[in-house]
Formats: sequence, C-alpha cells, structure tokens
Amino acid sequence: MPRSDRSDTSASDTVVELAEVTKTYRRRRRSEHIGQALARFVRPTFETVTALDGVSLRIGRGEVVAYAGPNGAGKSTTIKILSGLLAPDQGRVRVLGLHPLRQRIELVSRISVVFGQRTELWWDHPVAASFDWKRVVWGIERSDYDRMVSFVKDLLGLDDFFHSMARELSLGQRMRADLGLALINEPELMLLDEPTLGLDVLAKRRVLQSIVDMNRERGMTVLVTSHDMPDLETLAPRVVVINHGALAFDGAFSQFRTKLGDPRRLILVTADEQPPALTGATLVRSDGGRHQYAFDANDVPIAGLIDQAGALATLLDVETQRASIDDVVADVYDRWLGERVTQAAPPSGRIRPR
Amino acid sequence: MAGRARELTRLWSKYAGMNLLTLIRSRRSAAIEIGTDVVLNVAVVSTSLLLAQRFNGIGQWDKYQIFFMLGYAMTVNGALNIFFGYNLRMISRRIGRGQLDHMLLQPQPFWRTFITEGFMPFSEPSVLVIAGAFMGWSAARLPAGVTALWVIALVANLIASGGIVMAFQVIWGAIAFWAPMSAEEISSSTNRMVLQLGTLPLNVVATGLQATLVTVVPVGLTAWLPARELAGPGGPGLGALATPLAAPVFLILAVLTFRRGLAHYAEIGSQRYLSFGHRR
Repeated sequence: MPRSDRSDTSASDTVVELAEVTKTYRRRRRSEHIGQALARFVRPTFETVTALDGVSLRIGRGEVVAYAGPNGAGKSTTIKILSGLLAPDQGRVRVLGLHPLRQRIELVSRISVVFGQRTELWWDHPVAASFDWKRVVWGIERSDYDRMVSFVKDLLGLDDFFHSMARELSLGQRMRADLGLALINEPELMLLDEPTLGLDVLAKRRVLQSIVDMNRERGMTVLVTSHDMPDLETLAPRVVVINHGALAFDGAFSQFRTKLGDPRRLILVTADEQPPALTGATLVRSDGGRHQYAFDANDVPIAGLIDQAGALATLLDVETQRASIDDVVADVYDRWLGERVTQAAPPSGRIRPR
Repeated sequence: MAGRARELTRLWSKYAGMNLLTLIRSRRSAAIEIGTDVVLNVAVVSTSLLLAQRFNGIGQWDKYQIFFMLGYAMTVNGALNIFFGYNLRMISRRIGRGQLDHMLLQPQPFWRTFITEGFMPFSEPSVLVIAGAFMGWSAARLPAGVTALWVIALVANLIASGGIVMAFQVIWGAIAFWAPMSAEEISSSTNRMVLQLGTLPLNVVATGLQATLVTVVPVGLTAWLPARELAGPGGPGLGALATPLAAPVFLILAVLTFRRGLAHYAEIGSQRYLSFGHRR
C-alpha cells in the first residue's frame, strides 16, 4: 500500500499499545511414569499456564525497545499477539492503531516480523528470488522496491550472497537475508523475536549493528526480544523485562542496572584456611585459603570490606570481579520467581519503572 | 471482481515463474521430477486399467468406460497437483508444523494465498497432459459420443470433482488444528484414500456402501459418479449435475471447518514449529 493511502493512524505517536493484556494456555499434564500416564490417559488433567498476566505497554514511533525475560516468560506470545497470529484472552491490543486480528491484512502490510528460528526465504531459490516474491505478494511498486533492495544490500552486506540459494547460506547470512527481506516493504514497525539465536559472535555483532542502523536511518520502530542481555543493551536504550507473564521493569538500561544494584565478587586469599566473616558480604565459596564473597558495591564500599578482612586474617591476595549483566539478570530472574512485580500503565505516555 | 481476478493472475504468474526457475535448475533434476511424477500417478490407476484390459471391462462397464473413468481421475489429480503444491493439498502438514504463520503474515486474504502459493504449472503438468490425452482417446470410443453439451458437462464435473477432493482434504486436514502432531499426516492419508478408492468402479459394490462413498467419504464423486453419467450410453443426463451440485456443499463445509480451526489456532497458537517442507 502506498504511504499516501494509509490511514491517519500512521501519524500517531503510539505504535504499539497493550492494555491489561492477559493470555493463558491450557496444557495437558503429562507423566513419564507408565502408571500415572495411564491414569491421565483415562482421566486427563490440565493445568493453566499464564503466558501474559495483565501486561500494559506503550511503544512510541521510532523507539527501539528491548523485550527481555527468561525462557517461557511470555516474550514470543507478545510478539505473536502483536502480529495478529494469536488472540489475547483479555485486554486491548492496537498496533499502528489497528486491531491485529481483525485488520490483519492492513497490519501485516505495514509491519514486518522476523522469528530467529524461522525463515521467510524460499529454500530452493536464490535470495534475490525471495525478495522479488515479496515485491509481488506485498504489491510493492517497482521503483520503491529497487530503492529498498539497494538500501538493504548496502546496510546488511547482502551482495556477496544475494544470488546464492537460500539453503546454501550460513546461519548469519540467512538471518541478514531475512532481515533484508523484512525491510523491503518499509515497515513502520519491526518485530524481531530472538534474531541473534544461534549466531556466532561476528554474525551477531553485524546483525545487531544492522538493527541499530535501520532504526537510525529509517526511523523505524523496533521491538526486539532476546534472553541475551548484552545483545539487548547494544541495541536499545529502553528495556522492558517480562517475567512469568508480568512486566517486571520498563525503563532505561541505566535505570535497570541501578535497580539491579552493582553485584560483585570479592576473592580473598588468606594464610589461614578459615574464611573471615565479613559484615555486608556473603561467603559464596571457600576452597583452602581462597574465599569468594558476594556483595553489592552500591551498599558496601570495597575498601571497608578489605579493611575488615585485613583485621581478621593475613591477606595474601585480593581480587574483585564485576558480575556480567547476564549473571546479574540470571540472579534477578531467580529472585523474581517468588516476587512478581506487575506494572500498570499510566494514563498516557510511557510506563515508568517503580 | 476484475481487481480480484487481476490480483490472482498476478500471483499465479509469479508462482509460475518461480516454479519454472526451480525446474530449470538442471536438466537431470527436471527429468527425474517429471518422470517420477508420471510413474507414480500411472501406478495409481494401473490395477483397474490392467483388469479392464484383460477382461474387456469390469462389471457392467466396458473397458473404454473404465479407461475414461481412470483418465478422469488422473485429470482431477493432475490438475490439483498443479494448483496445490508445496503441501497446500496436504494442508494438515502446514497446520501441524506451525507453518500457517507464514501464510498469515502475508498481506493477502488467506483464501488467495491458499489457491495461489502452490501453483506449479511447469513441474506438474505431465500427469495432466497424459491423463487428458488418455481421457480424450477413451471418450472418442464411448457409446454416447462427444457433443458440446457433453464437453460442458465434463468440464463442470472435473472442476466440481477437484473442489470436492480439496474440500475433503481441508475438512480432514483441519483436525491438525486440534492435534498438530498426531494429525500432521492426516491429509496424506485422505489423499491416498481418494487416489486408491476414487479409481475403482463402485458400481460393483453394495448400494449402502455406494451411498456412503458419495456422501460421507465422497470418493465416488471424484471419478466414478461423474464417469457413470458421462460415459453411459445415453449421454449426460440430470445425473451429470450431481457432482457440480454437491461440490458447493462440501466446499462450504470445508470453509466452515477451516474457519473454526483457524479461530482455535488464534486461541492456542502454534505449539510446535518444523521447517520441514516449508517453501522447498
């Protein structure tokens, strides 16, 4: 659809709007024990899994939003609801002002969805043939198509394999081709579900940089999911964290780090095998004279801990380590198992973290 | 209406071009693809064909009536092979493997994607050509002879039979919405059933079974009943309308069943995804 024919929703500042969205799945209970399996064969039992629990979220035009959470947190369910593949049980969903299920055709002409584990490429055709297929099915004008193909070939470095069969591409090349294919209809919103899954470091870096460039050069709104925090930090200034179907955080990455604290490790090597008891630090491991403590550098000054240790034992060596964001987030996911923090949408504007 | 037809033509042209590109990758693969297709499809009708030849017919039908029926069945099958490749005829595979998402992410009505995406006019026409020639040859030897009315009735019946086969495939294939893993291959089973039972002269079976095979399991409408009406000595009578009248009923049933399945799909989503067979 030419841009001039699009409804005035495209002028709106809100691209994605989820309000109190709930989605549950009914899942049959299984058992690996024959007796129990037979009992459940005769009398099936079910459990309800809450994939989304009152999720409210707004994404403005031109934003890049990282959507993070552990496996099974509800990230893919959100993407599928936004792309019209799945219906929510409750709540309001609007994407570009459209109802994703009822206005599917108009919506999918204006967005693009990339699932990291799937490909839209035609397997037994050159990459170029899949691009031309999209031109026809999406009804893209030839001049727009030529301009966009040239743009994405430069952006993603597709020239080397543009005329190779899709089945001959490496995983990284395939993902770049899929990203390029997703771009040629000039989507206003790009939904990326785990786009870096399985990629090596170099391929990952290139894909991430391409997403940043796409946003900068086209002003395209991007919602990208991953369970890989460093990837997301590279991509997006704003992070939305979902856990057990509920939003646990929504804000800037810097705020997220502050909220997480500054967890570190202190490693002491002492002459004595007995670990000194340090106030403000938790002993994690002790092996011979080597003791490892966990502490939050925001709450406990490192110098104070070393002073304490020096007073209690003869120090042979001291080392501190900053935890990677992946480790920190993994700890947080563990902590969140019991304490779910649900955020409600404010009347307007972006949701703020508590 | 004209816009819809133009859009369909545009999409069919595109898929035809892509099919041609696949076929001409190499002479060897093209020859193997066409050759195996012919052998497989001729094998399906070979039993009835050889019996009819050996005994100069089966039951009350002479051998040319049987040949006509077999040609008719192969023509329907060949036409469906051309229009519904890439597992669209085996729709339960697409549903069961979670590949329907790919169709739903295209800015086209679902029905349009369904009838265009599997168009393979270059790799699949061999069966249709052979079947058409065989049907024409046997039709010339039928007692009623070939008239304009007869040709119209034949075309209407062929289209209706194709519609019934696809409706049958979709109705059963929709079970995969509720049981994606168990029913993933159900369309191949129903397809096999149509191919095997559809090429049998059902006039030799009991009336009750005949009635079942033209209603509940409508394989009798895919070749036998139309052939009975078209190849009989009196030429096409009112009976030739049976299949064209039944086709809309089965197609409506298929649309309703599929819509219900699609609504269920939107509720539960795809619980599994396999790329096997997708766009390849």
